Amino acid sequence: MSVDARALDEAFLAIVRDWAGGGAGCDEARFDELARATFSYQLERNEPYARFARACGVDAAHPPRSWREIPAVPSAAFKDATLATFDVAQAELVFHTSGTTAARSGKHYFERALLYDAALLAGFDRFMLADGARLRYLNLVPNPRCRPHSSLGYMMGHVSVLRGDGAAGYFLDDDRVDAAGFSAALAEASRRGRPVCIAGTAFAFAALLDALEAQGSTFAAPPGSRVMETGGFKGRARAVERGELYARLEWTLGIAQSSIVAEYGMTELASQYYDAPASRGAAVRVKVAPPWLRTLVVDPSGRELPAGEPGFLRHVDLGNRSSAVAIETEDRGYRSGEGIVLLGRAIDAPPRGCSLDAEDLIAAR
Amino acid sequence: MEARAEQLIAAVADAAARWCNADFPPRVRTAHALAARTGYSAPVVDYALDRLFGAVTREALRATIAGELGALEALDGFVARQGRPDVWFRPAGKVAIVSSDTTIGVALHPLVFAVCAKAEVLVKDREDRLIAAFAETLAQERPELAERVTSQPWDGAEGAARLAEAGVVVAFGRDATLRAIRAALPPQTRFVPFGHRTSVGYVTRTSLGDEAAARRCARAAALDALLYDGDGCLSLHALFVERGGAIEPERFARLVSEACDEVAVEFPAGPLHDERAALYRKRLLFRAAQGAGAVHSGAHGGHTVAYDPPGDEPPPLFARTLALHAVRGPGEALAYLREHALPLEGFATDVPPGPELLAAAVAGGATRIARLGTLQDPPLGGEHGGAGRILPFVRAIYRS
Repeated sequence: MSVDARALDEAFLAIVRDWAGGGAGCDEARFDELARATFSYQLERNEPYARFARACGVDAAHPPRSWREIPAVPSAAFKDATLATFDVAQAELVFHTSGTTAARSGKHYFERALLYDAALLAGFDRFMLADGARLRYLNLVPNPRCRPHSSLGYMMGHVSVLRGDGAAGYFLDDDRVDAAGFSAALAEASRRGRPVCIAGTAFAFAALLDALEAQGSTFAAPPGSRVMETGGFKGRARAVERGELYARLEWTLGIAQSSIVAEYGMTELASQYYDAPASRGAAVRVKVAPPWLRTLVVDPSGRELPAGEPGFLRHVDLGNRSSAVAIETEDRGYRSGEGIVLLGRAIDAPPRGCSLDAEDLIAAR
Repeated sequence: MEARAEQLIAAVADAAARWCNADFPPRVRTAHALAARTGYSAPVVDYALDRLFGAVTREALRATIAGELGALEALDGFVARQGRPDVWFRPAGKVAIVSSDTTIGVALHPLVFAVCAKAEVLVKDREDRLIAAFAETLAQERPELAERVTSQPWDGAEGAARLAEAGVVVAFGRDATLRAIRAALPPQTRFVPFGHRTSVGYVTRTSLGDEAAARRCARAAALDALLYDGDGCLSLHALFVERGGAIEPERFARLVSEACDEVAVEFPAGPLHDERAALYRKRLLFRAAQGAGAVHSGAHGGHTVAYDPPGDEPPPLFARTLALHAVRGPGEALAYLREHALPLEGFATDVPPGPELLAAAVAGGATRIARLGTLQDPPLGGEHGGAGRILPFVRAIYRS
């Protein structure tokens, strides 16, 4: 690893440490400096990204003037090229992306697990465990032992080991939810008065609730219990209204909606957004990120939009040091205060005619 | 006294003829509403209305009905048939037409055949009220049709009750929508579903022998791709282009993009843009920067022509977006269609297809084979979605 990479990593970890320790983290100037330095580093070592940047009119001779001008690779580009600054045979982590329509998945390689782990733990601690609780993790996410390339599985596996009570369980096998196993585990935790964190995708929660409701099962999870829900409908033919889902979770699991936290992340990023604590009881939830992740809302031509105006989300994540620092997504949202409000994905747009669309194809599979 | 089929055909054709006049006041009003609902530009709406009503002629109605039933008179009483018992076709019950996800006027053709079948017809109308306005014109031609053809918006339980009364339900929509409608119907109800579908095209070396021929072919493809912003089941979304001609597929993709610019002058994009196409272009730009394929979006960025997009992905089903795949022959096109299990409506070709190309189109599941440039102009007598035009609305009574 070059000196440059080590310096960038040290700078990144310092921000994470400062923030995790209660510090402010990263001001605009520092973020700008580090984002551009990271991009410059990637231009030299990540040839596919450099080629794309050149196509956008950006190279070492014509660098971006601020982090806002860093060319953002479309998230689908992970399917088309190996976006890495290093020999991927040496990658400490490899996560596979899920596609909506593509048969092929992309791969996100991380040179150092240390950076990824630091970012995910700091975010989780701040937004999910602000009370310092040691919880029992009941995970409706892929078991990392069975699906080592699922970023969500890895995240919850890491959290369960480092922040859990040693009795974590996984209740998702491929797309099948083990409702019976989950019920037994939640009942056991309740008997012992052990608060739980139930983590899963919206899709998995919907399937779990369908099963529990069919049995007429309801629970009163121990006080201090919480839910982490993450957008899990990518590539799914079924949609769920989030308010309805949360109401069902509250009714069936006995966990107040204010203790249900939506996480927003993606395999192409090292860092995650979470519902801002102050907005968890509100009709519109605002998501906030750690200071090393910033997001622009842009229109289809790439023009930055003002607060309140919906557009596509373009993320700049300093944790992506060994891949691509700027990622353009199909996710839509708008800026609100210090955070963003998610609106869904462009692909969710309703069809206007009788032409086939991506959702039809997904449903047909 | 019940009107004869010939009289109903005359009424329908005369009403349609009035709608072919661009200055016909109901058409003018409806065109504005259609533009507001669909987001299509005025020339596109006018083109759609011209094609929609222009197809409804006496000759086309007679030929289609006689072709499916054996004789037009079979709607009026018993007719003799060669080697079979005499037959009389009566309405199969009240006809309900539900067209929630359609471009412009997809409900019209089922409506006119249901009327010719002497059925009562109920249409769930859109906010543009096209069908209601046409029904008023029909009633001016034959006043008794005012009671026989009704058109109104409805929702939820009210809609379910209406559908339950129908003997035939024609529905357009997604598979999930169609399943839900089917599930709510009594078992004896005849259900005619039209799911979402797409169309593809094929260009042989024949059209790529010189620049002029290639440009003509490119313009035809551009028209099929751009009309209705790619929203229709007859919109062209993927084009297979044979290698080995004087004009290679990569060059042809550029010609298609130039043709899209020309077509856009006549049929400009509406104000509703498909943001997904913009994202897709960026992804293609990334691939092109890696030396894989190319993307052309024209002088004004109003369309997307993707040359050599990922073959393991289905075509981009976005507005004014066309994927162009270079192939060695029809077999490769068929392999692509099978891999992605694309529900096909149309298969357009540059020349009358030879046996191998025809076999690919048929095996690919197409229900319509057409010349490039005419995909969006289906004849009335064609079996849309592979179903008959009047047969779904009649029940046969035979005497032996």
